[in-house]
Amino acid sequence: MNRRNTHRYPLRPCTLVYVLLVLLTFATWAIGKAGLQGLPVALLVLLMALAKGQLIGDWFMDLRQSSGIWRWMIALWLIIPGALIASAFWLSYRS
Amino acid sequence: MPSCNRAARQYPPGDLAIWIFILAELLLFALFFASYAFTRLQHVALFNEYQQTLDRTSALVNTLALITSSYFVVRSVAAIRAGHPRQCSRWLWAAVAMGVLFLAVKSAEYAHHLGAGINLSTNTFYMFYLSLTFFHFMHVILGLVILAAVAVKAQRGGYSAAEHTGVETGASYWHMVDLVWLILFPLVYVMR
Repeated sequence: MNRRNTHRYPLRPCTLVYVLLVLLTFATWAIGKAGLQGLPVALLVLLMALAKGQLIGDWFMDLRQSSGIWRWMIALWLIIPGALIASAFWLSYRS
Repeated sequence: MPSCNRAARQYPPGDLAIWIFILAELLLFALFFASYAFTRLQHVALFNEYQQTLDRTSALVNTLALITSSYFVVRSVAAIRAGHPRQCSRWLWAAVAMGVLFLAVKSAEYAHHLGAGINLSTNTFYMFYLSLTFFHFMHVILGLVILAAVAVKAQRGGYSAAEHTGVETGASYWHMVDLVWLILFPLVYVMR
């Protein structure tokens, strides 16, 4: 399929997103390095990862302007496995 | 962040076929992630113990390499949409360099594990760690081949502001590779 797409990337928000991704990555690494554990910590790390994924989908993949299911496919992909992972960790702390 | 004032597009950027491929790949990785999490449930102590043997600093470097690479790809698409094919090519080569850095760091990690006698049958944690990360590693290689091919074509003036579906197609695939790693990194290296 050959579709013309000449709209410009909003580079400034993309650069801000990049900085945010780097900061969240350092936060995740610092939590791992400090050996922090517990359900709230695991869920916080997961939440940061899901937020990073949504930023990639919206701004880098440029899906925020797509319509229908294309707009939400990354969110769905993040929410479904994210919920499964969260459930598994919750169960591991319950047992 | 400023809101976008352009009308919604029916399809995402790039060739529609690559998005079908991306969806299939994402589904596969989602199954892998869920399998990891639920298998861990049966071996929590083992997973927590062997997770500590992983090099988180290497994983940090690799995450930064992929995020930076993805950002460079964003810049390459912006350049071609503005009608600058050479600039587009330069950003793509910079993205390729970051991808090669990822492969080098990951290869060093694998060499370390193999040198210590660790393999797929060492235990359940390593089975997941090695298979998940190696499956992703193969995707990075494929992504780099695609980005390099697009960079060469851009360098030769094969894309323009009016027609650059190939650049967007390669970019979309590469962002998928980055996206998967952003979940894999905390899940396998940090969450316990």
